[in-house]
Amino acid sequence: MARPLWSGSLSFGLVNVPVAMFSAVRDMDVHFTQLHAPDASPIETKRVCSADGQEVPWDQIAKGYELEDGRWVLLSDEDLAAAAPHKSQTIDVECFVRESEIDPVYYERAYVLSPRDEAAARAYALLGEAMAKSGRVALGRFVMHAKEHLVSIRPRGAVLTLTTVRFAEEVRSRQEIAEAVAKAAEPSGEQVENAAAIIAELEVTFDPSRYQDEHRAHLQRIIKRKQKGQKIVAPKEKVEPAKPVASSAPDLMGALQESLARIRGEAAVGGAGSTKKKPARRRTPAKKHSSKSGAGK
Amino acid sequence: MPMPRSLWNGTIAFGLVRVPVKLHSATESKRIAFKERHALDGGAIEHRRVCVKEGKEVPYEQIVKGYEVASGEYVVLSKEELAIADGPQARVVEVDHFVAEEEIDPIFYERAYYLSPGKLGEDAYRVLHAALLRSGRVGIGRFVFHNKEHLAAVRAVEDVIVMQTMRFADEIVPDSQLEIPRAAKKATKLELDTAQLLIDQLDGSYEPDRYEDRYRDEVMALIERKARGEAIEPPEREQVTREVDLLDVLKQSIEQQGARKRSGSRSPAGKRSPRKPAAGKPSASKRTASKTTKVKPAKATATKAKRAAAKRGGS
Repeated sequence: MARPLWSGSLSFGLVNVPVAMFSAVRDMDVHFTQLHAPDASPIETKRVCSADGQEVPWDQIAKGYELEDGRWVLLSDEDLAAAAPHKSQTIDVECFVRESEIDPVYYERAYVLSPRDEAAARAYALLGEAMAKSGRVALGRFVMHAKEHLVSIRPRGAVLTLTTVRFAEEVRSRQEIAEAVAKAAEPSGEQVENAAAIIAELEVTFDPSRYQDEHRAHLQRIIKRKQKGQKIVAPKEKVEPAKPVASSAPDLMGALQESLARIRGEAAVGGAGSTKKKPARRRTPAKKHSSKSGAGK
Repeated sequence: MPMPRSLWNGTIAFGLVRVPVKLHSATESKRIAFKERHALDGGAIEHRRVCVKEGKEVPYEQIVKGYEVASGEYVVLSKEELAIADGPQARVVEVDHFVAEEEIDPIFYERAYYLSPGKLGEDAYRVLHAALLRSGRVGIGRFVFHNKEHLAAVRAVEDVIVMQTMRFADEIVPDSQLEIPRAAKKATKLELDTAQLLIDQLDGSYEPDRYEDRYRDEVMALIERKARGEAIEPPEREQVTREVDLLDVLKQSIEQQGARKRSGSRSPAGKRSPRKPAAGKPSASKRTASKTTKVKPAKATATKAKRAAAKRGGS
């Protein structure tokens, strides 16, 4: 397994679990290299010192902070670790909360914790199982990469996942946008009812495996074609029957009603009228309490 | 505060309704901004793009994007070709499914944006917003942004619509690649009950305003010390005490926590029996059901007493 991004201990109550942290996500993007156009050779980024014009190796790069008087203070990673030695080595669980209380806007990056040895595995498994049973997630904090992070930790099967949670000051105010929204007329009850009915018709159980990155696949196809020397041209826009482009009254009401009629029509003929969409797997009332769709199984 | 700059203009498509929207970042980093400096002479570090072949600096206009199809062999794609890859739907978020928010594992979330109504989009924006609020559901769509396709969740958060990019399923590292060490012995029922009791004692409610980045102040203090010329001693690696008996340590934790609680006011409302049947069976009891389904209004029942308890637990 890859090198951990952080290692330390996870502490709750008086229990300490030595853990290592890994990214929960992997990069599947199509990566491009910067090339020099005239000779098609790769570009390298060099770190050069402006004082002597020489290339600087990684281990000679310090973190600089500019004081108000224009002087620079240089810090090494060791200096930064000294700022908060305990927090840099320990994830302190402060309390347990319901996950629904955390607005997803606060979530930042996802990681996986792994116990560092078999003795740690016992306490790790116990914490996961106890959290699953109590329906709570752990909320804690620690320091990584010279920044303090609030984190939530939850079990996913036998694995504990950790998500960094933004501090309130890192979430921007919505006020300006809310004021702009409030300037528009209040929607009519009938409009909202129709829109809510469309939502109800399109409701499914969240199944992440249903969605594939089509753009990635498309990009790879274009690269293949270009490699074969084919010219890349934009596909001719399909001439679609004029769709009501409705964003404002009075077309809005018409568009809502027609959407609903079409969706219900498709549903009535078992999706036969649908052109490209797979019939949505509807959520049955009995499944309302379904647990989260497991990731990475 | 001015309206944050919009990053993208596009359309939310939902049924036959088109909602013109603008995208604004919902978050901002507050970390201390360091700049790279040369440790030996303090000089500023410049990043120079250099051609590997000629060893000379290359101006930005002469840089193109190449995809390595074989070692050292690149296929160059122009901006126009990349735009073709984006497709004609690049500016449309087609929302064709709606789901319950609690079904989405938080590890899928990537970045959060606020949506504001685009040109002539105010009416449609308000209808979508009101319908999302009423249904309590999250729209799932996808869109292309910065030459990358994103899965996106569209929700009403109080008075605005929020759109959050999400990872595709194959971007999540599968468990099979994790090699998580397993415990040789399963936890005993007593251990599990005791651990749950500890969780109950540390039960709190999440209030974003309660947490602030205190580390930043510590780093600022360190910067001041260093500016005065003080030497910074490297920290000692903490000795982690390894518990001899997990159950004993859990019990001690509960005692310690209980002692903390007794020194404050009692909060019976915050108490929960640890011996509730396993969550996940909706019919088990009302409370258990509300735990698993995470119905929002249930939050209101998180009493003030409990919050107070959480504050003590969290401090």
